[in-house]
Amino acid sequence: MVLGRHARGLRLAAGKAGQLLFVAWAIASLLFLIFRLMPGNPLAAFIDPSFTAEQRVSLSRQFGLDRPLFEQYLLYLWNLAQFELGQSFFYRQPVADLVLGVFPNTLLLTLTALLLAYGVGLAGGALVAWRRGGWAEKLILPLVLILRAAPEFWLGMILLAIFSFSLGWLPAGGTAVAGATSVGFFERVLSIEFLRHLCLPAMTLALYLVGLPLLLMRSTMLEVLDEDFVTLARMQGFREWTVVVHHAARNALLPVVTAFALGIGYSIGGNVVIETVFSWPGLGRLLVRAVQSHDYPLAQGAFLLIALVMVTMNLVADLLYRWLDPRVAHVA
Amino acid sequence: MSGFWKTMTAAALLLLSALPAQAGDKIRELVIFSRPQAANPQEFQSIQLIAQEWRKLGLDIKIEVLPWEQMSTVVWDQRNDWDITGWQMVGRPERGDPDELTYNLFHSSTAAEGYNFVGYNNPAYDEIATAQRAETDPEKRRQLIFTAQEIIAGDQPIINLVHQRLAYAFNQTVWDKASVVDQAGIGIKNFWTFIGLRPLGAQHDIILNAADNVTAINPLYISGPVDSWITELIWDRLLRVGADGLPHPWAAESYAWVDPTTIDVVLRPDLKWHDGTPVTRDDVIFSFTAPQGDKVPMYKPFVGNIAGIAPVGDRGLRFTLKKPSAAFLTATLSKVNIIPEKVWAPEFAKLEGQEKTAESVQEAMPLGSGPYRFVRWTTNEEVVLEANPDHFAAPHAARWILRSVPNTEAALGMLKSGEINFLADYAGDPRVLQDLVAANPDLDMVLTTDLGFRFLGLNERRGPFDDPAFRRALSTAVDRRLIVGAAFNGFAVPANSVVSPVLAFWHNPAVDAMETGTDRAQQILAAAGYTLVDGKLHYPGDRAETVKP
Repeated sequence: MVLGRHARGLRLAAGKAGQLLFVAWAIASLLFLIFRLMPGNPLAAFIDPSFTAEQRVSLSRQFGLDRPLFEQYLLYLWNLAQFELGQSFFYRQPVADLVLGVFPNTLLLTLTALLLAYGVGLAGGALVAWRRGGWAEKLILPLVLILRAAPEFWLGMILLAIFSFSLGWLPAGGTAVAGATSVGFFERVLSIEFLRHLCLPAMTLALYLVGLPLLLMRSTMLEVLDEDFVTLARMQGFREWTVVVHHAARNALLPVVTAFALGIGYSIGGNVVIETVFSWPGLGRLLVRAVQSHDYPLAQGAFLLIALVMVTMNLVADLLYRWLDPRVAHVA
Repeated sequence: MSGFWKTMTAAALLLLSALPAQAGDKIRELVIFSRPQAANPQEFQSIQLIAQEWRKLGLDIKIEVLPWEQMSTVVWDQRNDWDITGWQMVGRPERGDPDELTYNLFHSSTAAEGYNFVGYNNPAYDEIATAQRAETDPEKRRQLIFTAQEIIAGDQPIINLVHQRLAYAFNQTVWDKASVVDQAGIGIKNFWTFIGLRPLGAQHDIILNAADNVTAINPLYISGPVDSWITELIWDRLLRVGADGLPHPWAAESYAWVDPTTIDVVLRPDLKWHDGTPVTRDDVIFSFTAPQGDKVPMYKPFVGNIAGIAPVGDRGLRFTLKKPSAAFLTATLSKVNIIPEKVWAPEFAKLEGQEKTAESVQEAMPLGSGPYRFVRWTTNEEVVLEANPDHFAAPHAARWILRSVPNTEAALGMLKSGEINFLADYAGDPRVLQDLVAANPDLDMVLTTDLGFRFLGLNERRGPFDDPAFRRALSTAVDRRLIVGAAFNGFAVPANSVVSPVLAFWHNPAVDAMETGTDRAQQILAAAGYTLVDGKLHYPGDRAETVKP
C-alpha cells in the first residue's frame, strides 16, 4: 500500500510537471507572436538625422530581425530551453540580469501589500460576519467596494498629496533617499529608510487588495457560522470569541489561502500603475518601457517571469488546498 | 462669313474665356497622421486646428491617430504610402550648428532612406546645402545658410509650426540664481549649469529628475536623451558647444584651421582620467579612430570624414579631412567622447568576430576624465555622480544625483518638498509649473525657446504635394498664432525656419514675416490653376489624380 501511494504521488508530480511545461511553452509562444504582431518595430526608436540606412541594416542584423520569423522562433525556443533570455535591444544587457535586478523590489512591495491586505481582510471579514448587520458592516462593506473600484493611480495620488506633499511625513518616490550610500541587499531592505519609502506604495496596493480577502472571508464565515459544529461548540459553552476564532475562522480560511497564493501571481504583474505613481523601481515599469519601445527580448522575459510566478502559485494553491483539506486529495 | 456668324463666334469665344479655367480631377481625401492625444496633446490639438483651416480651402481632410512606433514605421519604411504627418525635431546642443537640419532634412541624397522622408528634391537647394558644408569661413557660410532658409520658406517642403518654450525650474534657496546658465535653444538643464551651479547653503547635491529610465552609461552608445546628460558629464570632448550655441575649446585648449581640410588642435596639459592617470595623445587618437570600424555604429558617421590624425609638436594633433567640413567642429570634435585606450582596446579585442558591438559593453565603473565621476547606478531608480575636484572646470556642487521619476505630478511635489532641487524634465503644462512657482517663493522657473521645432511633413512623392504652390497655400492657411494659444497655452513661438530664432547668428530674420490667412491661401491656389467645383478643390486642368485610395 505504501508503495502504491508513492507511485501515485510520483505520477501526480510528473503529471503536474508535464502540465507546467506545456503551459510554459504555450505562454512563451504566445509572447513571441504577440510582440511581433504589434504594429511598428524596435528600429523606430533609432530614427535620427544622423542614422544611416547602413546602420539600420546592421542593427536589424544585430537584433536578429533580418531572419525569417520561423527561424527567430526556433532560435528563441532553443535559447529558452537553455534558460537564455537574450539581450535587451535598448539596455544592451542580458534580459535575465535586468529582470532579476528589479524583481526583488516588486516582490517586496507585493508581499508587504498582500500580507497587510490579507491580515486586515481576514480580521475584518471575520468581524463583519460575526457582527452581521451591525454598524461595522454598514461602514466597511461600501468602503472596501469603493477602494476596490477606485483607480489605483487616483488612490496613490491622493495618498501622495496627503502624506507626502501636505504633511511631509513620507517620501514621494524611490526606495531610498537620494544619494544614500549603498549597502548590502538585506541591510538595505531592513533599513528604516526603505520601510519609509515602502509605506505609501504598499499602503495603496493593500487598500486596493483588501476588498477580496475581506469579502471572501465574510461570506465563508457566514456559511461556517451556520454549520452544526459551530452550534455544537456554542452549546458546549465555549466563549463566543473562542468559537469565532478557533472553530469558525480556521475553517473559513481555506478559500482565502487559495486567493492569497493566486493574488501573488496577479499582483506581481499588476503593479505597473503603482510603480509609476511612486517611482518604484520594479518589474512593472521595466515591462511598460519594454513594450512601448518594442524591446522584444526584455518584454518576453519580463512577461515570462510573471507567467511562471502565476503558474507556480497556481500549483502552490493546489497543493496547499490538498494539505489543508485532505478531502480534496481523496476526491482527486 | 456673315456678320451674324462673326458675332456668334466672337460671343462664344468671349463666353469661353469668361468660364473658369478647366478643372482637373478632384483632389482625393488627404490623410494627416497624428500621435494620440494622450501621448502628444499639443500635436493632436494643432492638427485638429490645421484640418479645420484646410477644409475651408475645399479639401477633404482625414486625421488618422497612430502611436509613434506605428506612425514612424509607415513614414520611414513605406515612403510612398502616406500624405501628411506630424513630426518634431528635438533641440540638442550639436544642433546649434545648422548643418544637420539644413542638410540631412532636405538634401535629395537622403530622400531614399535618410531623414529627407518628405522626398524634397530641389537641385538648387542641394547645391547650397552642399556648399555650406564645405565653407569654413563663418561669414560666407552664414550667407549660404540664409539662402537655404529662403529657398525652404519659398518651397515649404515641410510646414513649420512652432518652437516650443521649454520650462525648467530649480530651488533658488539651494542654488545661486546667478550660477544658472540658460543655453540658447536648450534651456537651463545643460552641461554648463551642472558644472556652474553654486550652492547657497548646506545642500551641495544637485538632485534632479528624469521621467525616462537610464538605459546605458556608455561613451560609445547614444542610448537616449537622458543618458546623454550623464555621458556629457563623465567624458570630456575636445570642444564643447557653449551657451551661445557655438563650439568652444574644452579638452583642447585651442584649435585652428590650417586649410579647409586640415585642422590643428592643442590638448590641455592637465587632463587626467578619474583614476588619476594622465589622458594621453594616444587616447585621443584612439577615441577618434575606434569608431571608424564596425563596432561603434552610432558614432561612425561623425568620424567618417577623418582621413588621418597625426601628432604635432608637444601636445598638438592634426586632423586631416577627406573633404572640407564646416560642421566638423560641432558634429565631430564637440561630439566624440574621449575614452581611455587601456579600458576600451581590450573590450574591442573581445568583440572581434562577434555580432555584438561596443554598445553592449557596460563598464561596472565607467572611466572618463570629465568634471563628474561615476559613483553608482541603481536600475530605474538613480544615478549618482560626484564632482571631480582635479578637473580644469571642477563643479561647485558636490554630487549630481539623477532620480528616475516617471510621474510628472510627483516630480512637481518633490520639487516643492525638496526631494529634488532641480526640475530637469517636465512634460506637463508649463502653466501648472508657473502657478506652482508663483505660489512658492523658494522656486524659480526659466523659460527658453527651443531650438527644436514641430512641423507637418508633406509627402512630395505624391500629388498634390509635388507642387510647391500647393504646399505654400497649405502653409499660408495655417494660423500659427492660434496654434500657439490654443494648443500650447501660449508657451511656444511661431516657426517658419528649421534654424531657430534663438540661434541669432544663423537664423535668417527675413523668413519670419510670413503672410498667413485663408484668403491669401485661396489666392495662391487660384493663381496656380486650382479650381473649386461644388465647394471641392480640384487639380489644375492638365492634372489627374494619380493616387488611388
